[in-house]
Order: sequence, then C-alpha cells, then structure tokens
Amino acid sequence: MSFRMPIVRCGLTALALASAVKVLAEDTAALRLIPAGTYEPLLRSSQDPARIPVAAFLLDERPVTNADFLAFVTANPKWRRSLVSRLFADTSYLQHWSADLEPGPAAPLRAPVVQVSWFAARAYARWAGKRLPTTAEWELAAAAGYDRPDGRNDAALKRDLYAWLARPVPAVFADATSLRPDFHGIRGLHGLVWEWVDDFNTAMVTGESRADTTLDRNLFCGAGSAGASDTTDYAAFMRAALRASLKADNTTTSLGFRCARDTAPLNAFP
Amino acid sequence: MKTVALFLLCSTAFALAPDAPADPSRRQTVTAKPDTCCCAPPIPTAAYSAKSLYQAEGSFTDDAGRVFRLGELRGRPVVLTMFFASCGYACPLLVADMQAIRAKLPPAIRGRAAFVLVSFDLARDTPPALAAYREQHGLGRDWMLLHGTDDSVRELAALLGVSYKPETGGGFSHSNLITILNREGEIIHQRAGLRGGLDETVAALTLANRE
Repeated sequence: MSFRMPIVRCGLTALALASAVKVLAEDTAALRLIPAGTYEPLLRSSQDPARIPVAAFLLDERPVTNADFLAFVTANPKWRRSLVSRLFADTSYLQHWSADLEPGPAAPLRAPVVQVSWFAARAYARWAGKRLPTTAEWELAAAAGYDRPDGRNDAALKRDLYAWLARPVPAVFADATSLRPDFHGIRGLHGLVWEWVDDFNTAMVTGESRADTTLDRNLFCGAGSAGASDTTDYAAFMRAALRASLKADNTTTSLGFRCARDTAPLNAFP
Repeated sequence: MKTVALFLLCSTAFALAPDAPADPSRRQTVTAKPDTCCCAPPIPTAAYSAKSLYQAEGSFTDDAGRVFRLGELRGRPVVLTMFFASCGYACPLLVADMQAIRAKLPPAIRGRAAFVLVSFDLARDTPPALAAYREQHGLGRDWMLLHGTDDSVRELAALLGVSYKPETGGGFSHSNLITILNREGEIIHQRAGLRGGLDETVAALTLANRE
C-alpha cells in the first residue's frame, strides 16, 4: 500500500495542475439572469426618453478577476502589458501587475482586475463569448436591492454603498466574490470597483463643465444635477460623471468590468 | 461602368504603391495576402504603426454592399466623419464642410484623398439608403459611405472620441467632428464643432499626404 502513495500523490498533483490550467484557460464567471425591466436615465436632455425598456439578459455574478484576465492575456499576447498597442490602452494599463503574465501581490488572482481600457475589456468579453453590458443594462441590474428587485428603499444597500463611496481606493482589492449578493445573485455592482459599459461613449459631455480629464478621484464631482430624475442618487451621478470623462484607452486604479450575454440560446451565436 | 470603376480603383492603387512608406523602425514586412480582385495589386501589408486606427479590426459595408475595412484606406490622406443620413441639422453642414475642404485642396492631393462618411444609424442607413444619399448629394467616387455593425461603429467612435446617443425621435445626438488621418491611418487633426477651421483642416490634409 505504502509504495502506491507516491503514485497517488502524483496523480493528485497532476489533477491539481490540470484544474489550475483549466482555471487559467477560460473565463470562469457564472451568468445570472436579470429579468426585463425599465431604466430611468438619471441625466437626460429633452430629447432623451425618460424610461428605456431593457430586455432580459445575463450578467456575470462578479467582476472579471485578475485570474480571468491572466487567462485572456495568456491566450492573446497582443493584450499583454508589454505588447498592447497604445491605441487601445494608455501607459498605466495593468501597471500594478508584477509582469506580463504575473499579476503579483498588488493584484490577487481572485480580486477584480482594474487598470484595463474599454478596448481591452471588450476584447476580453469577445474572447469569453460574452459582451459588455450596456449602460441601461448595468444600471437596471444595479438598481436591485439585497432582498428586493427595486433597491431604492433598501436601507442596508444604501448604507453599504455610501460607506464604500466614502472610502479611498484600496491598494489591494478584496475578492470579487466577497460582497453580499443582491436580489438577482449579483455581487459587487456597488462596493468594489467601477465598471466599464459597452456604450460609455453615449454620455454627452455637454452636461459636464470640467475640462480636466485626469482620472481617478478628481473626476468624481456630483455637480450639474439640474434635470436629474432622482437627485438623491449621488452614486448614479458619480457613475455618469465617470463615464462622461473617460476615453476608451483610459485605465484607472478603480475601474474594472464584468461581462453580459443575451438570453438567446448559445447556438444562436456563430 | 463597374469594370471601368474597378480598373480605375486598381490603377489608383498601383499608382500609390511606389511611394508607400518604408520606415523600417516602425514597420516590418509580412507576407502578402492573396489578391481578392483579378487585377488588384497586393494591399500594403506592413504592420500598422502604434497609433494607426487601421489596427481596429471592425468590418464595414460600403454603399455598393461590399465588405470594407478601414485599412483599405492606407496610403491615402483621409477626411473622416461620423454622421447619419436622415440628420436634418448638423450632418448636412458637416458634409458641406467636407465638400468645401475637398474644393480647397490642391488637385494633386484631391486626387488621392478619400472622403469617408460612417453612419451610426445602423437600422436606417443600410447600403441602399447610403447609395441614395450618395446620389442625392452628388458624391463622387472618392467618397466612401459606410454602414457598420454596432461593434465596429462603436469602436470607431471610441477611437475618434465621438459620442453618440439615440434620441426619442429616431435621431441621434452626436459629436460634430471631422477627422484627418494621414496615410498610415493616424489622427493628425480634428475639427470639432460646426463652424470655421476649414483652412487648418486643408493644411492638415496637405501634411497628411506627406506623412
């Protein structure tokens, strides 16, 4: 019996390796269904609809992690930090990683990936067979409370949200799955990182007077609330301001993303 | 007629080939792709520069229904504007400005330049609708009217810094931006807004032709 142990151990090691490789070879976030609903844009001109119907869709239960993104850059060399085209990502792209294929101590594998551009987030989503959510989809999902589909009066959610907004960006992020799931089983829409949306560039800069496009903390100004549908939703102002001030190649220390997919069956995609 | 157009296109491309840029520090030669048209010269196949918009892989369809990639514009100075055909206010002004820019160009540059209109109205600006627009506005062969996918159009808008958003009436609110690309597909000038700046844009195009 004893002579077999090493073989068993070898087998286990091989198994562990195989599963590690498996984790590193694909996008691993599970999708949850967000039922159809209505998005009420916070900031809109007279030309914009007050209510935008949103079809049911699938959304990742958590943001994309460093492990996921490592798998992506491993499979797609042109998205590695040292190889990425400056057209698609600015100079701080993945700068907190230790090396091209080594997230390192500042980017734990299970923490959400940040310092990624919109182009990179989109390329990841395409590789994963998914897409980025639209603004309307993201906001519809993010409107859920912990225990009810409409989180507007969810005191616990509001408390956590504003506590997060008051905290500085941490040097190292917590696990992407560490936050309490909401009504739809989605984690971390609020409280972890900001997230790219596919149509971030629908945000018109006309409501925005700040000429300074430097990112991170100095862009989060909640001014300009005239014409807003819900003037108490400070977090939504911050998201709108962020989207309006971003360019597609920008990367910031608190901006990540998650993916979405249509509810149509998989075989509908070529 | 179609054959003549094709022949002209091909001969233009031949004419462009000899002075294709060849800076070895920025580009490396890779193998030529097989030709897609009987008389087509090889499309320049050197790698694109780091700032070239032609790195984007999005696909478009021109108003003749032909699949079109922006990289096909390589080697020509380009005047590029995103618009939608049913736009009643800003877009006609943008197109008129592009025509004014074209008229101001020295003939040698006018003969090489490409005038490109890319629509963000995916539903209505189909290739036939764009062909009708070409007809109505008397746009010649050096104008390209492109229909894209949500993916390719949004990517191009992001690259140019164009914001656009559908409105309730079926129109779009959008940035008014005329972009000049040099022969490598790098942005070298943008005119924002709807007034003035034509001479600067013409000067940029002259420069674009040299780079």
